[in-house]
Amino acid sequence: MNSVNKIVFIILLTAKVILPQGQLGDQFNKAKELYSKGEYFNTITELKRLIFFDRDKRYAYISNELIGECYKMGAKFTDALNYFTRAEMSATSSEDIYKCRINIIKINILRRTTGRAISLLDILEKDSRFNGKREEIDYWRGWAYIFADDWDKAAIQFSKISPDHELKKMCDSIDNERYSVTKAKLLSYFIPGAGQVYTGHYLSGLLSLGWNILWGYTTVTAFQAGRIFDGVVVGELLWFRFYNGNNQNAEKFTIERNREISNGALSYLQNGYRGEKP
Amino acid sequence: MYSTESRRLFADYLYCQKDYLRAIDEYQEIAGTAGSDTINFKIGLAYLKIGKYEPAGLSFIKIKENSYYYSNARLEFFKTQFLLSNYDTLERNGDNLLPVKQLNVFSYLLDYKTLPVKNKLLSIFEGEDRRAVSDFYERKLNPPYKSELTAIILSTLIPGAGKIYTEEYSDGIIAFIVTGIMGYISYTDFKADHKLRGWVFAGLSTFFYAGNIYGSAASAQIFNAKVNFKLSTDMKLFIENKDYFIPDYEFCK
Repeated sequence: MNSVNKIVFIILLTAKVILPQGQLGDQFNKAKELYSKGEYFNTITELKRLIFFDRDKRYAYISNELIGECYKMGAKFTDALNYFTRAEMSATSSEDIYKCRINIIKINILRRTTGRAISLLDILEKDSRFNGKREEIDYWRGWAYIFADDWDKAAIQFSKISPDHELKKMCDSIDNERYSVTKAKLLSYFIPGAGQVYTGHYLSGLLSLGWNILWGYTTVTAFQAGRIFDGVVVGELLWFRFYNGNNQNAEKFTIERNREISNGALSYLQNGYRGEKP
Repeated sequence: MYSTESRRLFADYLYCQKDYLRAIDEYQEIAGTAGSDTINFKIGLAYLKIGKYEPAGLSFIKIKENSYYYSNARLEFFKTQFLLSNYDTLERNGDNLLPVKQLNVFSYLLDYKTLPVKNKLLSIFEGEDRRAVSDFYERKLNPPYKSELTAIILSTLIPGAGKIYTEEYSDGIIAFIVTGIMGYISYTDFKADHKLRGWVFAGLSTFFYAGNIYGSAASAQIFNAKVNFKLSTDMKLFIENKDYFIPDYEFCK
């Protein structure tokens, strides 16, 4: 009888230890299944439930990480950051810490806080635990520069991985395709409308040139005829206004054109590029 | 994990984490069970927190008279009605609750209803609150509007004067200078027998003159709209800071 009692006691004790863990494991599997179906809201609910009942925090890292992923999929970047940070706090290996930090960096890239992403990458690079991750760090730094619209620096980062890296070539080509704001403004300073022509806005460039010739001519003839007041007023209110507007337009058109080029490239990266993305 | 008690604990946890939407889902799963008044009350509060005033109101209405939360639910219900701008409902404050009466005062000040006598409105407030409500009352009764007609007349007589009257000082000075300069150039061009240029600048001068008159009337309208907007914003901020005169609950301590 005594030994029977002992066996029953051991069975009960084992059940008490194992069953809740099994329940938690089932709960995690349920959340994972919801995640694979793309039901991110429900995934988060079930993972939060798991975290709430997981007294030993066995699933803390993996649950927080998956919640971060779900929030990221729903473009809730601040919440995603919050949960990736929680995951990092629960991480037990340097590999897991690295994974969380990269996730945090990716979120910063996506929400265009690229300065923060780059400084986090710098910290990661200096950490001796991640010496073997240099290539990957350069890769994400390249992406950070892409989102910062600095294609030249992005190309440099990708070239560190390989001089023939697909993204290096692409960044170089985008950088060459882009227009220079300084060049457009300088052109417009010397020949009104030339900056607009440089960015492909021919009609606007010709109109700008026409207005400047008209008001310039009117101003000069007014001074030549001794009508100083007329000259000053037309020069100040019309010629100067059109000349200044021409310079501002040259800058505006260049920025717009560059934005179109960058957006086209980002659209390709989102839909056409097969490599890893933020 | 899915027992009623576990769900309630988890819902409370979500509520205190400010994850109100998920908290509502969890509470609703156990809404038909024991203690459903507390659950309905929390569902209502969660809806209120996420700005869903109609379902919040419906949750508060479900709470029975014998419930511990009944009087709070009544207050919260009237708060939802206030936030939904259903001001007439506040008049039907059968329970004669003070916070509801106070909110009702603000319904008069925020709405376009005829204002009752000042002392009657102020009688339910004390101290700082009374002074603040009195100030709102005065601002509502005698708003510092600018007359469109005065702005038009002033700008007709002196270009830009209407804008200065509506406190658009830089616009007024610029309108005066530009209209004056255009008129003067036109005058000197006609005098020097440059008729074409004279007509061009006379046209420009007329254009600026007419535009300035129209602009002054528009500026007076904008000024008045700003006065209304500022009063309404100040009042809403005041009520918000006062938590709608309803004490807070300590569910998450």
